[in-house]
Amino acid sequence: MRDTAAGDGAISPARGGASIRVRGLSKTYGRPPRAVHALGPIDFDVAAGEFVSLIGPSGCGKSTTMLLVAGLEPMTAGRVEIDGRPLTRPLSDVGIVFQDHLLLEFRTALGNVMLQQQIRGLDRDRQRARAAELFARLGLVGAEDRYPWQLSGGMRQRVSIARALVHDPSMLLMDEPFGALDAITRTQIRHDLELLWLDTRKTVLFITHSIDEAIGLSDRVLVMSPAPGRIVEEIRIDLPRPRPAHLGDYPEFARYARRIYEIFESLGIYRFR
Amino acid sequence: MNIPGAQSAECPSRSRNLQRIAEPLLWFAALLLLWEVLLWLLDVPLFVLPPPSAFLWRLVEEQERLLLHGLLTTKMVLYGFTAGALPGVALGYLIARSRLAERLLYPLAVFVQGLPKITLAPLLLVWFGFTDLPKVILTALVTFFPMLVDSAAGFRSIDPRLYYLARSADASRWHTFRHIELPSAAPSIFSGCRITVVVTVTVVIVVEWLNSNNGLGYLVLRAMDAADTPLLFAILVVGSTIGVALAYAVDLTERLLLPWRRR
Repeated sequence: MRDTAAGDGAISPARGGASIRVRGLSKTYGRPPRAVHALGPIDFDVAAGEFVSLIGPSGCGKSTTMLLVAGLEPMTAGRVEIDGRPLTRPLSDVGIVFQDHLLLEFRTALGNVMLQQQIRGLDRDRQRARAAELFARLGLVGAEDRYPWQLSGGMRQRVSIARALVHDPSMLLMDEPFGALDAITRTQIRHDLELLWLDTRKTVLFITHSIDEAIGLSDRVLVMSPAPGRIVEEIRIDLPRPRPAHLGDYPEFARYARRIYEIFESLGIYRFR
Repeated sequence: MNIPGAQSAECPSRSRNLQRIAEPLLWFAALLLLWEVLLWLLDVPLFVLPPPSAFLWRLVEEQERLLLHGLLTTKMVLYGFTAGALPGVALGYLIARSRLAERLLYPLAVFVQGLPKITLAPLLLVWFGFTDLPKVILTALVTFFPMLVDSAAGFRSIDPRLYYLARSADASRWHTFRHIELPSAAPSIFSGCRITVVVTVTVVIVVEWLNSNNGLGYLVLRAMDAADTPLLFAILVVGSTIGVALAYAVDLTERLLLPWRRR
C-alpha cells in the first residue's frame, strides 16, 4: 500500500499509511502516593493502511492510548514506533478527530480546515483544492462559510474529519468521533468515512465503545479490559467492503458482536442474568 | 442543503433596531418632562436642583468649553485605559498559561485590586504634580485588575485538546497564540473592556478634580465655585455621554473584529 503513485484527484494520497508498532506501553498518572495506573502494558501493531479499532469500557485507557501513539502525552513505560522509527516527539504527520468536533467557533467551516495550512505553512492553493475536494466528498458543499454554530452535529464532525485529512497525513487517529451523534447520523457518517478510507488508505486507529462501529469499520478490533486497560482479544473482521448500513445482513456480524459481548461479560463489564 | 441561521433577517431587525433606540429616548423625554413640571410646581431654587430646561440651555451655552474639556477627559480615559488593559491582558495570559506565574503574580494583582486607589491620588500628585501622569496612572490601575481577571478567564476556557491539535500540527508559540488562544479569549476580553471603560471616566474626573486645570473634573470645580448647578448637571450629561459612547465603541469594535458572535 505504500508509495503508490499519486493519482490526479486531490484526495488520492501522495503516500500510503504509516505503520504503528506498540510494545509494553503503559501510562501512570500522578506521583507514587496518589498514582493512578491508567493503561497497560499493552502491545499491538497496526499495518500500513490498516483500519484498527480499540474498543473497551469508559475509562479503560483507549483515549490515553491514542494520545501516547500521537506523542502528545509522555508514556510511563514502553515504546511506540511509527514506520519503524521510535516516537520521541509529537507526531506531526497525523490527523486527529476528537469526540466533540473541537472546531474553533470563530472560524468558518473552511477556515477551520485551512487552519492546518496556516499553522503548518503549506501551499495555500493546493490546500484549498484539497479542502474543496474533501468538502465535496463529505457532503459539505455550501457549508464552507458557515460558522460551527450554524452547522448540525453531524456536519461539524464532517468538518472535523476534513480538517484531519486536508494536509494528507499518513495516519488518522479518531477518539470516539461519532460518540456525540444520533444513531441515524452515525450510520451515514460511518459509511462515508469507510468510502473515504477505501480511497485514501490512511492508517486509522479508531477509538470507540460502539460494537457496531468497530465491526462496521475495522479490519481488526482490539478489545480492551477495564482500567488499567489491557488488550484482551484481537478479532479480525472478514467482511466485504463497503459494508452495508444494516450489518445484521451478515451472519458473521452476529458472530463478531457475540464474541465482543462474551468478552465484556467475562470481564464483568456486563452482568446480565 | 438547509442550514439553520442561513436566511437573512435584515428587514425585521432594522425596524426593531429603530424601536430599540426610540423607546428609551421617549422614556427619557417623559422623565425630563416630569422633572420639569415637578420643580415648577414645588418651586425649588435653581442652585439646589435645576430643571432640565435650565441645564440643557446651559449645555448649549457652554458647548465650546464642555466640548474642549470633555475631549481632554476622553483622551485621558483612552490613555489610562490602554495603559491598564494591555498589561492586564498580558498578565492574564501568563497567569492562565503558567502555574508559576499564577503563584507569583496573582497575589500581587489581588493586592493592587485591594488598594483604595483614590487615596493614591494625592501621592501621585506629589510625585508628578500638575501633569497628566496621575490621571493616566490611576486610570490604568483601576483598569488593570478587571482586565486581568476577564482575560485570564478567557484564556483558561480554551479546551486543552486544542493544544493537542496545535502541537500535532507543529504550531509555533506565536501561531498558537494568534490563531487559537487570542481569538478564543477575545469575547471575555471585550466584555472586560465594556465594563471597565465606563468606570474609568469617573476615575479621570475625580483626579482632574484634585490636581488639574483642565478636563471635566476641573470644570466641576469651577461650576461649584460659582454655585452654577445647571452647569454641574450639564457636565453630568457630557460625562455620561462619554461613558455610553465608549461602551458603544467597544461593542462596535467587537462586532467588527468578532463577526462570528451570535447576536
